[in-house]
Amino acid sequence: MIAIKKLAKMREMTALIFLVLLFVGVGLRNPDFMNAQSISTVLKGSVMYILLAIGMTFVLLTGGIDISVGATLGMAAAVAGTMIRDGSSVVAAMVVAIVIGIVIGLINGFGVAIVKVPSIIMTLGVMGITRGVMVVYTGGRWIENLPDSFKLASQVKILGGLNVYFLIVMIFAALVQLYFMKARSGRYFAAIGDNLEGARLVGISAKKVMIAAYVISGICAGIAGVVFASQVGFVTSNTGVDIEMIAIAACVLGGVSLSGGLGSVTGSCIGAVIMTAINSALIYLKVPSFWNKSIQGMLLIVIVVSDVLIHRYLEEQARKRRLSARTSVLGGAE
Amino acid sequence: MERLKNFKGKWDLSLVVLLITEILIFGWINPRFLRIHVLLNSANDFVTVAMIALFMTFVIITGGIDISMGSVVGLSSVVMGLLWQELGFGIWTAVFCAILVGTLCGAFNGFLVAFVGVQAMVATLGTSFLYAGISLVIIGFSGISAAEGITGFPDSFRAIGHGEFMGLPSSIILFVALAVIAYILLHRTTYGRRVFLTGINRAAAEFSGIKTKLIILSTHMLVGTGAAIAGIYITSYLSSSRADHGATIILSVITAVVLGGTSITGGEGSIIGTFLASIIIGLMTLGLQMAGMPTQFTGIGIGLLLVVAVSIKSSMGEGNLISDLKRKFQKESK
Repeated sequence: MIAIKKLAKMREMTALIFLVLLFVGVGLRNPDFMNAQSISTVLKGSVMYILLAIGMTFVLLTGGIDISVGATLGMAAAVAGTMIRDGSSVVAAMVVAIVIGIVIGLINGFGVAIVKVPSIIMTLGVMGITRGVMVVYTGGRWIENLPDSFKLASQVKILGGLNVYFLIVMIFAALVQLYFMKARSGRYFAAIGDNLEGARLVGISAKKVMIAAYVISGICAGIAGVVFASQVGFVTSNTGVDIEMIAIAACVLGGVSLSGGLGSVTGSCIGAVIMTAINSALIYLKVPSFWNKSIQGMLLIVIVVSDVLIHRYLEEQARKRRLSARTSVLGGAE
Repeated sequence: MERLKNFKGKWDLSLVVLLITEILIFGWINPRFLRIHVLLNSANDFVTVAMIALFMTFVIITGGIDISMGSVVGLSSVVMGLLWQELGFGIWTAVFCAILVGTLCGAFNGFLVAFVGVQAMVATLGTSFLYAGISLVIIGFSGISAAEGITGFPDSFRAIGHGEFMGLPSSIILFVALAVIAYILLHRTTYGRRVFLTGINRAAAEFSGIKTKLIILSTHMLVGTGAAIAGIYITSYLSSSRADHGATIILSVITAVVLGGTSITGGEGSIIGTFLASIIIGLMTLGLQMAGMPTQFTGIGIGLLLVVAVSIKSSMGEGNLISDLKRKFQKESK
């Protein structure tokens, strides 16, 4: 168990080292990639994925998966975008986006925790429904002509060139990380994913915690939708398609176990930055953009496979150690 | 409890009732729906879903899932078009190679799941990126316009999608033929029984001499082949080979399998159920369109169908919603 815990810590480090190597490696080929301008573009672009990855971490820790976040993001972006275009305040739009996230999260959580539908099926169904509702809501049209002040808010820099959205999201991530590490209820999520029956026996209300995880994931996706509308400046009917895959990949990259109980927000944030950095690194390496998807897929497969192999190796080692300890005890008794 | 068990055994029967109700309701909304010609030709649209779903039943019975099949549909379509147009292969050689590619894609999924031990959901998430990415790379290199795809296939090939035999459209013949093959394979051979046993208890199956790894690998190869045939069919039917042919198919496929009574946790399922559920989904798509709904509503309908079907199924087990409620009522009556 200690070895696995060490590995979890190592996984954040390996992710970070991978990120640094990515920047240095690509920077050697094209020095432009290493300058402040390009780094800040990557960080700015990763805000949306970081938000999704934070929410996804809650769900993955409980041993579930949420593939409806892309659809939630699209829905929130469409509704908030329409409201802002029609002159309502950003705060009101943000509240509505969060409410959308809460509603979708509650539906997911109800299905998974109370009705006991497997999480992938429940969220797949909800994804289909949400996407349909979004297209019906927008009538298949783009939402354009968002006010400039709203779009420019995504460009504001403070503290010597740091994007304001990125800073806010980083503070949020740090708070969540603190919550996971210090708060008693923060540990419930991983406890459920690690051993559901055990968690129940020590008095954790598993259903409530599970529903909370899906609601948090929904809220994060809702906020990410507003961020998307602000950064991109328009909302198409395809907004959010395949984004859930990137969010899951980011978490896995950062060392969150898909079987639950293991992982940290720090890791998934680093993973989210890596996923963004790869896309922009490919641009700097002058690789045609049609390569992006297959490279992301290959990377995901390589990481997951090595994750499985490392886990298996460590378990084997632990088993051997247990066996040898037992035989030596027996030997002493003779 | 006795009644519930009976009901569970009559899942296929309730599907027939659902199907008839559906036909009557849509026929009542729009009498044109009841014309035999319209009903027969509706198979053109849903047969691609059915081709994948029939073989996906095998994968889900073993306890796995495969969400990369949408990408395989696109990839086989692109490979076929490319071999025929750019490399000058004969049309039937190209078709054969494309089906082979689909089988290989399935084999790679199966290898990752059975031999490396990656969770099926995660492995196929990665490969779905990879396969879709490869089709984009192929298109990017060959300079085909992604929006138009490859067109201008010979008439002999277009007959796959448009031909008729004894007054029946070719889609119906393909659909029934594949369903019969799948039925015999799953319900009438030792192979089928091994698939079931692997899903019910993999360790027990392994101990009784079944090579469960090979069984899981072979089920993934089957669904890969099915997806490639679906890709060929849709290329012929729409007379164009494109990468995004199967982009949104996976929701319908999984809905068809689960609505057909296959347990998502494995060990239980039937081809007849999947067969009926595919027709239900296909007719719902057609019926909603004929009732004047925009096509986006079908996503909502299918999503609802999926969630409701799985909720009903999982509520009937122990420790779920209905048994919880029952216990509560019993407690109160005491």
